[in-house]
Parts: sequence; C-alpha cells; structure tokens
Amino acid sequence: MTTQDDIHSDIDQTTETAIGLGKGLDVGTANLAAAVQNDEGGITVNVERNAFLDIPSDVYSKNMLTKLKVPYVVHNGKLVVIGEAAFELANVFGRETRRPMADGLVSPSEQDALPMMKMIIQKILGEPQEPGENCYFCVPAESLDVDNNVVYHQGLFESMINKLGYKAHAINEAHAVVFSELAENDFTGIGLSFGGGMANACIAYKSIPCLSFSVARGGDWIDKNVSHVLGVPRSKATAIKERGIDIRDPKSREEEAVAIYYRSLISYVLENIKSRFESGQNMPSFSEPIDIACAGGTSMVGGFIEVFREEFSKIDFPIPVGKIFRSEEALTAVAKGCLVAAAIGEE
Amino acid sequence: MESVNEIKEQLSARSRTATLDELANEGRKRVRLIRAEHIAQMVSEAVHAAVEESGLLDRDAVDALVEKSRAEFRTVLREREQELEVARENEAQLEASERDFEALQARFQALTQELALANSELQAVQDELETARREAQSAAEAQPAVPADVMRSMIQELAEVKASVAQQPPSGQESAPGGADLTAAFDKLAGALNDRLDSFGKKMGISAAVGGDAPVDLGSVFESGGDADLESNMDNIKVKQKAAGGIAANLAKLKKLKGGG
Repeated sequence: MTTQDDIHSDIDQTTETAIGLGKGLDVGTANLAAAVQNDEGGITVNVERNAFLDIPSDVYSKNMLTKLKVPYVVHNGKLVVIGEAAFELANVFGRETRRPMADGLVSPSEQDALPMMKMIIQKILGEPQEPGENCYFCVPAESLDVDNNVVYHQGLFESMINKLGYKAHAINEAHAVVFSELAENDFTGIGLSFGGGMANACIAYKSIPCLSFSVARGGDWIDKNVSHVLGVPRSKATAIKERGIDIRDPKSREEEAVAIYYRSLISYVLENIKSRFESGQNMPSFSEPIDIACAGGTSMVGGFIEVFREEFSKIDFPIPVGKIFRSEEALTAVAKGCLVAAAIGEE
Repeated sequence: MESVNEIKEQLSARSRTATLDELANEGRKRVRLIRAEHIAQMVSEAVHAAVEESGLLDRDAVDALVEKSRAEFRTVLREREQELEVARENEAQLEASERDFEALQARFQALTQELALANSELQAVQDELETARREAQSAAEAQPAVPADVMRSMIQELAEVKASVAQQPPSGQESAPGGADLTAAFDKLAGALNDRLDSFGKKMGISAAVGGDAPVDLGSVFESGGDADLESNMDNIKVKQKAAGGIAANLAKLKKLKGGG
C-alpha cells in the first residue's frame, strides 16, 4: 500500500546490536502496533486493527471462526470478532465495526470494549522479556480545536500495561515520530503523526520536545464524510481509502470524494499548526531550516506528501522549513519511535 | 274525570266568585248548589241522548267511542307525565353539573392563587441566589486573586528555604533560637497557605487534594469481569507482523546527544 514516491533515505543499519530490552506501543484509534527489536538487527512490529464486531453466539459460528482462524472472544453471551477480521466481516455484511477508541482517545461510549483492547494489546506485546521491562506507549497531545483531556486515557493504558508485567511510560505520539524519523537531523525538526482520530504535531530540538499539540481530525474524519456523501458504511469508506488510490489522480466518484476530504484535512492541519506556531507561546527559534517528517496510517495514501507540499506552499509558515517527507514505514513509525524511547531508557 | 275537569274549567270561565256577604247584599238569602260532577253527568247524558236521537250511532258505539277517547287521553297523559319526569331528571342533572362546575371553578381559582404564590416564592429565592452570587463575587474580587499553582510554588519555596535554614551550620548560640523561630514561622505560613489551598479546592468542589506525583492506578477497571474467564481463541491466532528497519543508529545518535558516548 505504501508508495515509493520521494521516500526519505534510511540510515545505515549495519551496526550490529544484541536483542535489546524495551518495547514500543502505538495505541492508535485505527490500529494498534507493538515494536520490539529482533535478533537480526531490525525490529518486528505486530499490528492489529483496533476494532471489533459482535455477532450472535452459537456453536456453528464458533466452530467456523475457529476453523478460519478468526480471532474471537466470547463476551456477554456474544461472539466478538477482533481486529482486522472484524473489519473484513463488517464490510462483507455491510455493518459498522465497533471502535474502542474515538478521536485519539478511549471512547466514552465503548467502555465495555476495554477488555477487547486489552486482549489485543496483550497479544501484540507478548510477555515482557523480564519483569518490569520498559514499554513506551504513545499518547496524543491536547487538541487545539476541541476540548479534550488525556489524563484518563493515559492513566488507563499505564495501568493496563503495568498489569501485563511491563513498566509503562507515556510519550507524545508526534515526539515518537521525531525519534523514529529525524535521527539524521539530530532529532531536531517537526514530527507529524496523521492517525485515525487525530493529527499530532511536535516540534523538537535535539530530541527535547518544545511544543506538542494535536487537532482532532484524522482518517476517521475522512471516512465519516466520505461515508456521508456517498451513502455507504464507514467501513466501506475506509476500504476505499486503503485499497491503493492516489489522491492526486482520483479515478472514480468514490476516489474523488476521498481526495477532496484528504486535501481538506491536510489544509486544516497546516492552518492549525501555523496559527499555533504564530501564537508565539513557548516557540523555539531556529537558525537553520528544519525538516518536517510525516507518518501515521492516514499519510500512507498515494500522493499524500505531494498534496501536503502543495498545501504547505499556499501558507506562509512562520518557521523556515527544509525537507518535507513521509516516513518509509509510515504505519509503524510511531511504534518504532516508542521503541527507541524504551530502548534508550533501558540503557 | 276529564270531562268533570273540563266542566269545571268552563264553569270557572263563565262564572264569578262572590262571597256570602255579597250575595246577602244582593238580597239573596238562599242559593241552589250543584256539583260539577253532576253537571258533567248531565252533559254526558245529554250527549248520549242527542247521539241516539240522531240515529248516527247507537248507545254502545257511543260508549265505545267515549271509552276509546278516554284511553287515548290516559295514554297521552302518561306520555306527558313521563316526559315531565325526564325533564325533571335532566333538570336535576343540569343542576348537579352546574354545582360540579362551580366547584371546579373554585378549585381552579384556589390553584391559580397557589401557583401565583409559588412563583413569587421562586422569584424571591432566585433573587436571593443572585444576591448571594454577587456578594460572593465581590468578596472574591476584594481578595487578591492568587492562582492555586502560584500558591503551590510558594509552599514549595517555603519548604526549600526552611530546609536550607535547617541545614545551615549554627554560627553561634544567638542564632539557634532565631533559626528555630524562623522555622516555626515558615511552618505557620506554609500551614496557612495549605489551608487556603484547601479552601480553594472546596470552593471548586474538590474534597481532597490529589498528590501531584503519585500515579493514578486505574487497574481495577480491568479487574471486574475477570479477563481470565473470557473464552477466546486468541492463543491460536498469529498476529500480522511487519519487519522494519532497525533502531541501532537512532540509539547511537541519541546516546551521543545525551553525552553517553
């Protein structure tokens, strides 16, 4: 799904390393991803969609799900299909999946989904390599455009991860992008994470976050609007978005709707970032242009970075900017950044 | 009976009433009397005789005709009496409905008065509340507004100063009592600031201060229901794995930045 256009070149990874302690966890609205170092010098990222679907429970259905290796849980007398399979099943039956998170935070209307999410996180994180192993998980920053608060969300996941035998630490989502993508720049620049529920931004200087904030629009906002204008379920809109389209060159009415809302999202995010930077509070000053690194599942659509650059050129950004690029591993960049933070914390 | 009544009416219509004195003044000392029933009988006999002489109807037919007329009259009379009875009942019901209506009107009046009274009481309470709010606001404005976080930092500074005073080596006998007095003064000030902070919290509806650095444990959220009891096939399912570039260089750069090598 990831296109190869203008990919930022990777750093030389020939340095050998033993399997290090520490795990990174991207607690995303759309996807959950856990990163761990492997014995080949790279990292392995376990990914699962953060969604579930409940279906009536009977022996036949249970046996079918087991045979098809579809993950399920029996909860409150229903079969609850979890993860990517829930998304696929929802599309087949024209239903909507249930989402434990909304707008980047734990959904207040899906409190009974927390056990499901805990099971997914337990599955992708696995057992700690040793008791109290560091696990850095990402949290969003407070939003500029809606009144939200991350205290409960952060406390919930801290407790959940601690219960799994880890020592949990929270890190800002966009700061994790800085750790993952701006190593060449001495971790100085702007990290942007375009997730399902939010877009997070962090401006950092030599790995120290100077400013972090978010706007409450993301991939789900695109799905909601595309679903509304096309009259299709949101799961269908998500599938249209993720099937490999190019928003510079939409080929159908559906793709055009996706492209329109993508451009609107990017423009909205940039305007909010610009106005926040212009407000002047806690703003660092840079003597040289800084790079902007984009990541997150919502940025994976074809033509994203080109449209981003187009919209960026329309505004008068208050900070000098050098390169604008998208991570080569946009879906796993946040988890990777969390892993970097966890690993350095172990040393 | 009916004919007697008719005779009486006719007689009343064609006669005059006089007292015995008036008759006496007219020179009448004796008068002849006849009852209306006898007159009715005479009329009836006269009619019978006239009908018989006419030859149109015999006596039996006349009697039958008379009887039929009487029966019809009785029927009509019964019907009229029944109608009168119904009319009386309707009138009684109407009177009862009118009485109920009057009672409801009276009740409505009473409730309207009660509502007016309640509204005026409510308005009075609202006015009192507004007055109390204004007084509270002016009282708050009269006092210097000190944000809670400023007070916390003041308490912390006091604690630091107190600690540094306690750590200073005694320079002489004279300074020791002074140092103890200073510590006591700091404690008193810190206590007053703490009380002030608590009162802020109570005003805002916070009943107890929350320890700033202590992590909030929400683990009990996951204890109810017992995850271990959830039936699932997750143990047999493999999650999707993606390989990604290593982080060795990132770590090396970070270590260099932090001065670790």
